[in-house]
Amino acid sequence: MTAQDIIRTRAKELLESGEVATFIGWEAGRFENQTTPLVITDAADADKLVFNEYCVNTLAKYVRDVIPRGKVGLVVRGCDSRGIIRLVADKVIKREDVYLIGVGCPGIKDRKTGEMLKKCAECRHNNPPEFDEMAGEVAEKPVAVERFAEVAEVEAMAQPDRSRYFESVYAKCIRCYACRDVCPCCTCRECFVDQRRENWVGKQNNVAENRFYGLTRVMHIGDRCIECGECERVCPMDLPLMKLNRKVIQDMNDLFGEFESSLSLEDTTEPLIEYRLDDVEEFM
Amino acid sequence: MILNKQKVAALLDHLSGARDVFVPATVDGVAKFARYGEGVQPDFGMVNTTMPPKDLLFPQTQKMYHFDVDANGSYRIHEYDESREQVVFGIRPCDMRSIVCMDEVFLTKGFVDEFYANARDKLLTVCVGCAQAAETCFCDSMGVDPQMAPNADVMLQDCGDAYLVLAQTEKGEAEVAEWSAFTEEADAQPVTCDLTLKVDMEGVVDKLEGMYDAPIWDNLSIKCLNCGTCTYVCPTCHCFDISQDMRRKDGIRFRCWDSCMFSEYTMMAGGHNPRPEKLERVRNRFMHKLNFFERRYGMSLCVGCGRCVEKCPVALDITRLIDEIGAYDA
Amino acid sequence: MPSIEISHGCAKGERPLVPQVCRVVEITEETPDVKSFRLQTLDGKKPFDCEPGQLGMFGLLQYGECMFVVSAQSDEWVQFTVKKVGLVTEHLHDLAVGDEVSLRGPYGNWWPTEGCKGKDMLFIAGGIGLPPVRSFLLYCLEHREDYGRIDLVYSASKYDDLVFKEQLFDVWPNDPDMHVHVSLYHEDPQWDGEVAYTAPFLDSLELGPEDGNRVAVICGGPSLSRTCRESLLNAGYSEELILTTLEMRMKCGVGKCGRCNMGGHFICLDGPIFSLAEIATMHSDV
Repeated sequence: MTAQDIIRTRAKELLESGEVATFIGWEAGRFENQTTPLVITDAADADKLVFNEYCVNTLAKYVRDVIPRGKVGLVVRGCDSRGIIRLVADKVIKREDVYLIGVGCPGIKDRKTGEMLKKCAECRHNNPPEFDEMAGEVAEKPVAVERFAEVAEVEAMAQPDRSRYFESVYAKCIRCYACRDVCPCCTCRECFVDQRRENWVGKQNNVAENRFYGLTRVMHIGDRCIECGECERVCPMDLPLMKLNRKVIQDMNDLFGEFESSLSLEDTTEPLIEYRLDDVEEFM
Repeated sequence: MILNKQKVAALLDHLSGARDVFVPATVDGVAKFARYGEGVQPDFGMVNTTMPPKDLLFPQTQKMYHFDVDANGSYRIHEYDESREQVVFGIRPCDMRSIVCMDEVFLTKGFVDEFYANARDKLLTVCVGCAQAAETCFCDSMGVDPQMAPNADVMLQDCGDAYLVLAQTEKGEAEVAEWSAFTEEADAQPVTCDLTLKVDMEGVVDKLEGMYDAPIWDNLSIKCLNCGTCTYVCPTCHCFDISQDMRRKDGIRFRCWDSCMFSEYTMMAGGHNPRPEKLERVRNRFMHKLNFFERRYGMSLCVGCGRCVEKCPVALDITRLIDEIGAYDA
Repeated sequence: MPSIEISHGCAKGERPLVPQVCRVVEITEETPDVKSFRLQTLDGKKPFDCEPGQLGMFGLLQYGECMFVVSAQSDEWVQFTVKKVGLVTEHLHDLAVGDEVSLRGPYGNWWPTEGCKGKDMLFIAGGIGLPPVRSFLLYCLEHREDYGRIDLVYSASKYDDLVFKEQLFDVWPNDPDMHVHVSLYHEDPQWDGEVAYTAPFLDSLELGPEDGNRVAVICGGPSLSRTCRESLLNAGYSEELILTTLEMRMKCGVGKCGRCNMGGHFICLDGPIFSLAEIATMHSDV
């Protein structure tokens, strides 16, 4: 049986038995090699589920919206599984709210070029660290490129080139907030940009406001970023958002030691959340 | 009259002497209508830009007026008109149709929006017909002819090596009369443009009347992220917010694009939100595209450009929705 | 069933988005969190002519503008009655007589004063819903001979929240054929009158539809609107003879910015005044 067969069978069983109220996976889209997230409540729809090398969307974020309907079953690869760990650690959901069918991920391809997506080429954890059962075996995937290679490129820029580079990046931002809305770490009930009364961010679209939004988000995601790369993938303006996320991660590594977020439910301490007496205080 | 494609660059140089000319081009990795000039390479082979040309008439941020507040709290309003002569060269028929929609919104029903009207009066539209379609193009299903935009001042129909030049308005005729150094008196046959993506709009508008509480909205909205991508890349989405920024005693009142996908959009001061969940927001957006606008202005608010189909982070596809509406059996 | 013709999309104007600067000429503190502001142009004139029920975008250049019904008007001024609920209204409450404000309008449609001629009028309002209704009520009282019996059913959470107390208790009851019925939702030491929610209070008054000769006019929050609508329908009113004025968030006021739509209709431009029969044909999220 392929992973897809197992997913369909198990989704059907879980829905029929009532163990889960909804099941989240992917279905085929209209175009060749296109997939789109699928949320089903009826076991009869389980045969619509697909699993292939074009399942681009991560699924964890949907759980928050769907949980009011009852326990949620979903397919998890490395990124989806870490997203769930993140939501549990942030107390958005409880672990027992979800039933996780793990699948090994060989890396997802761009449906048009057939090349592995950037986010997947950079992925260091393609197999799910947290699951209830596995559909098939863990997967092999090429080892990720150097984690901070892109950060080094930007750091190598001299001023004022580096400032100009970021200005050109934020000049393109249209503030659609797709990066926020797809992010499993962006779980605030009300985002600071929507707090019109406080007016943290003005509504004009310009480099200053856009950058303020982008940098505030980066700092707020901080040590919680699971490096799924979805923000960068969904950005309609192709902003290099992971460069900023990884810059923060690299700085944290330098300050607090090597760290990767959301790899285990048991050890969810984060460098910015946990305070230790021997923490570096070089900026104070 | 024809315009040989090899003469287009010279024509653009001529046009951009006195006016800002906007052409489809990829700038800093973003395909949009960019001001022709140094570093902007027009790309008339690109089927559709990522960003629509609507910002030429309806900028993402538009200053409406300045004001100052003196020490006694007295107000002075300084009016403001940033509109200037613009040419959009290479706009596609789908995007020309979007201007028909925006003209209806901004120029009719008792109030003329002066900011839009000023920009509109000063815009010359030179539409380039499509010789090829992207996989996400479905304009012909929405009643748009990929080689013809009736409301363009000048229509350039793609005939392979040359464009057939059609001056369609008074403004267009006056313009084309100045192009004799670049055009030739000859005839040419427009190539046909085949679209592979088709939807059947027959009966959809009427059928939607009875589908406000249909389960399709839940199925559709459940996977929507409620980001604003579809609304910002849409050539017809025209919702805006009005806000202000103050620096000491000086301020500006501006309007900016807003999105019906955002919960804040309809949030009222007392905390009540008439469209509190994704379902209400997604339903409102697609009903607006396919039914509400048709009822109000007699035309669809979807022009079939396919940008939202291409850019939606979760592949929420309006063409699949149209199929589902067609297949829906209450 | 007889129906009343309501104009829609009838407001017109030029340069709709740029306000005029006006001055506050009088402030009345209606309740601890409701104030009425009378506005004139800087040269002492009425800012605009409008019909009862129409809207104005009243605000402060530094903080923003909000849409309000013109709650009263004379030949010299227009008045807005503002409850403090958000950022802009908080700043409006800090205004003093003589301060400058921004104002644009008039927007929206108006109460069908012609169509209601000869009818008995039943006005129903809750809390800050009275000012929009009062715009019509004042018109009826100014043209008293054109209308029959007038009833006002008005409720608020507590005594302090009743707006226009002087008119409610001292002025309007003096009209020989006007009947003011007030209830509070909760017991209040300052109150020895009725304690009831609006809909049951309305039911107890037994103000029937009089064979289509009585028009009901409602304005209140979502639950008041829903329950009173049900009460009236149960009492035999036709949807055509129940009028209401709606509210959603508004920015432009002229049917362009998008957010106050009910289906293909915009509350700011086509409304705010509709009959229930009209609303029933719309795809409303309100």
